[in-house]
Amino acid sequence: MPKKYHIDTKITPLELDFIYKFSIERGENCINCGKCTKVCIYEVHKRGRDGDPRRMAQPSTVTCRNCFRCIQECPRGALEKSLDGDFLNIGGSYWKPDMFITLWKQAEDGKVPVTGAGYRGPFTGPGFDGMWTDMSEIVRPTRDGIHGREYISTSVELGRKLNHLVFDDNAQLVSKTHKTVDIPIPIVFDFPYEKLAANVKTGIVKAAVKLNTFVILSAKDITPDIKGDVQNIIPVVPYKDIDANQDLIRSVRAVAFEYDEELEKSLPSIIEKVKKLGNILTIVRIPATRSVENTVHRLAQIGAEIIHVIADYRGTEIGTAGGEKPLLSRDVIRAVHLKLVDERVRDEVTIIFSGGIAMAEHVPKAMICGADLTGIDIPLLIALGTRLYEEPEKILVFAEGIETLSVGTIMQRMVNLMGAWHSQLLEVMGAMGIREARRLRGETGRAIFYEEIDAETFGKLFKKSETVSL
Amino acid sequence: MKPSTVKINPMPSRFKHQVPKYKVTRSNACINCSTCAKCCPYGVHERLEGHNKVRPPIDYKCIGFECAKNDFYCVDKCPRKALSVSLNPMYETLGDYRWTADMITGTWIMAETGYPPERTDLEYNVGNSGGGFDKLRFKFPAVHPKIDKFEVSTEIPLNRRNDGRANIVISTPVYGGGMSFGSVSLSTMVSKAHNAAIWNTFTCTGEGGYPEMLTPYDDHVITQVATGLFGVREETIQRVNIVEFKYAQGAKPGLGGHLLGEKNTESVARMREAVKGSPLFSPFPFHSVYSIEDHKKHIDWIKEINPKALISVKVSTPNDVDMVAVGSYYAGAHIIHIDGGYGGTGAAPDIAKKNIAMPIEYAITKVHNFLKDEGVRDQMTLIASGGIRTAHDLAKAICLGADGAVIGTAEMVSLECVRCGNCESGRGCARGIASTDSVLADLFNEEWATQRLTNMYHAWNVQLVQILQKFGMRSVRELVGRTDLLEHIDYSK
Repeated sequence: MPKKYHIDTKITPLELDFIYKFSIERGENCINCGKCTKVCIYEVHKRGRDGDPRRMAQPSTVTCRNCFRCIQECPRGALEKSLDGDFLNIGGSYWKPDMFITLWKQAEDGKVPVTGAGYRGPFTGPGFDGMWTDMSEIVRPTRDGIHGREYISTSVELGRKLNHLVFDDNAQLVSKTHKTVDIPIPIVFDFPYEKLAANVKTGIVKAAVKLNTFVILSAKDITPDIKGDVQNIIPVVPYKDIDANQDLIRSVRAVAFEYDEELEKSLPSIIEKVKKLGNILTIVRIPATRSVENTVHRLAQIGAEIIHVIADYRGTEIGTAGGEKPLLSRDVIRAVHLKLVDERVRDEVTIIFSGGIAMAEHVPKAMICGADLTGIDIPLLIALGTRLYEEPEKILVFAEGIETLSVGTIMQRMVNLMGAWHSQLLEVMGAMGIREARRLRGETGRAIFYEEIDAETFGKLFKKSETVSL
Repeated sequence: MKPSTVKINPMPSRFKHQVPKYKVTRSNACINCSTCAKCCPYGVHERLEGHNKVRPPIDYKCIGFECAKNDFYCVDKCPRKALSVSLNPMYETLGDYRWTADMITGTWIMAETGYPPERTDLEYNVGNSGGGFDKLRFKFPAVHPKIDKFEVSTEIPLNRRNDGRANIVISTPVYGGGMSFGSVSLSTMVSKAHNAAIWNTFTCTGEGGYPEMLTPYDDHVITQVATGLFGVREETIQRVNIVEFKYAQGAKPGLGGHLLGEKNTESVARMREAVKGSPLFSPFPFHSVYSIEDHKKHIDWIKEINPKALISVKVSTPNDVDMVAVGSYYAGAHIIHIDGGYGGTGAAPDIAKKNIAMPIEYAITKVHNFLKDEGVRDQMTLIASGGIRTAHDLAKAICLGADGAVIGTAEMVSLECVRCGNCESGRGCARGIASTDSVLADLFNEEWATQRLTNMYHAWNVQLVQILQKFGMRSVRELVGRTDLLEHIDYSK
């Protein structure tokens, strides 16, 4: 049995005010009796405003957990609580305010978010929110999930595979197998275009090294200080500049190219050129536009090894024609996967999916829909206190003083976040009774899709039979 | 036992203030004439004897905009137009999509008074989740036979197998969910059991042992045999009328239980025969069950130890929950208890609560129909849980095919849970419900808690009887599987 993959998390707080959900205000009718300090178990209320122990300080609402004790027990009803304005403003319809708080916390402690009192969100939602994963009551191959004795592997392979093996008359293998690379989590970091402070970039690279996964960076961002970690970096190189980047390509395990029609025409020769430099994997990055599955299929047919399908940061397809409703990630991935299955080439290529992977649950869900692995970006930045606003247009606001954070802290917070996501992936796989992450791929039979089950249950029961006019 | 014989007593909140829905604002124009204090019958405005200022308004006592029709409406009465009423921003911090602030407030009123709220400004029967129960409505007939409320029976039998075991009938088709000693305080646990005895129904120990203090209520306790086998002994099995196998739970389908080290105090550890302070994991699933045959072996074992007990099998809601239910029938179970993915009270990973296993609404239909097709529906009692928040949810679950329901969160809310969700952190529940911390667990006594639960069960029973009356039914058993009495706000257009 291979050594169990383990992510070392370590509590790593940041000295930084991030988003908090509740805001408590002390009214003027406070009589400084101190009842609130006694009833609050989260230390929101303390004495000593302006150094005067006779007066109550302003509530420290960052630690408020919404228990209502102070509100209900204040003898004068002098405390008021509301949803914090910053909290309400951050993110948007996809990146919901609560996500920022939970991602921030996972980056701090590396733990699976746990709460009591049942689920509190909407019944269903668009995209990934419209599906549930299955579980198994009795018969199942795995035991105990994250606390267990049996090994649940989350590793995935990158690279091209043969459809079948060919042997000669002497039972000797004739087929030439392709090189593949294993990574222990189905997640790569994807930052080819974001302008990152030097320490942030280095921290991300160090986290990728620590986790033994990859970070995708633009070739020109690979500065000498991170050259030592180049084995965990996938450079994005303009395919016309392969010659100019020969040294870089020789030093890495995989190289990525942006898709255009020209690239499609010359893909076989580009791959050949790269292979001459070494046994290096090639990735084609392609935006998730309408009918991207057809392009993906053509690329697979002409020898693409790894195809990276990239959706919008809110998990929708890119460049939808005016008036049309954009497809959501869930359906884009399913379309790509099913097209490749129909064409009988699915097993030959690796599909990476990124865009809108915002929470741990999106990783197994994207895989169930048909991705081999996922790429993430924004959650790692939120781990460092970055704020994202969707309206009026996408804006990322980096935390003040981010450039002074140590590389070690940045790395550890990302490792923590991935540690928490990895544990959550194990929870989902454990419940499903799936022992290997690569077996999640395309397992839609082990998921429950809202539209299908709702129509099957309530649709059947309550839909008025339509009168057919001949 | 007749529900009409249950004693209802008002049992107010333990706290000085309740969470206000409205905000009453008094502007600087106020001249402290105290007209408002004189006219408001609810006590929002107050001027103490000898004080020259009216005190700040007590928001939670205000009944809101509907007061405008009254001739004592303070906003109209104020000679300086200094008063205004608005929605309180604090109200937004209470509740969520599934349990809205109105639903929590409504449940609090039921627990306080024993009746559904008289206020018309609370939507306490349906939540805001946008699916499942929240999209189903009753199709009450325009005319129905007049049936006296005392003629309506809410009893259901739990043993339908005719196998010579106890013929247990519960007086209201609801019972309390499993919450282990350790996850909730002893007063919570004992008051749940006491209430179960008052209502001639059941409560469940959960997996964490069977405290001696429950002895007076043994006939109304279900003891759980779960994967960790914590606190399971021959004598605990022999003490009860129903033994429940917990294969999985809705809060964390497919995952084991986990009691944090901090909550494993000395008494908890003794009960569970474990070491104080160490976290306790229940594995998943049963390590001795790989098939329905193995499952039958378990059931036979319990039946052998306790010859009168009924067997309940609690499972979560995977795709094949219908098959599991039929398997449980063949293994000899009396009750199949399905626990939907959105429910649960205990601490559970957020990812599991939201994403693993289907909501109960679908599973009830699936299991009910499958048992029917198999020809065994009449011999099984189908109990639904995991997201049954209100009496309306209960009646809808029964229409979809359940015989009755198990509730957990609604009981906790009756005890003034605000659903902040911090049951597991540090010392546990800040409101003393789900805590074994010596100070926090003393925040209320058993008498208060029992009466609050009894009142809430009463209010639910009142509502259920009203629903049955409107359908012209004399027994809740007539309602089972009557999907024709429901409509769906998307499909039934």
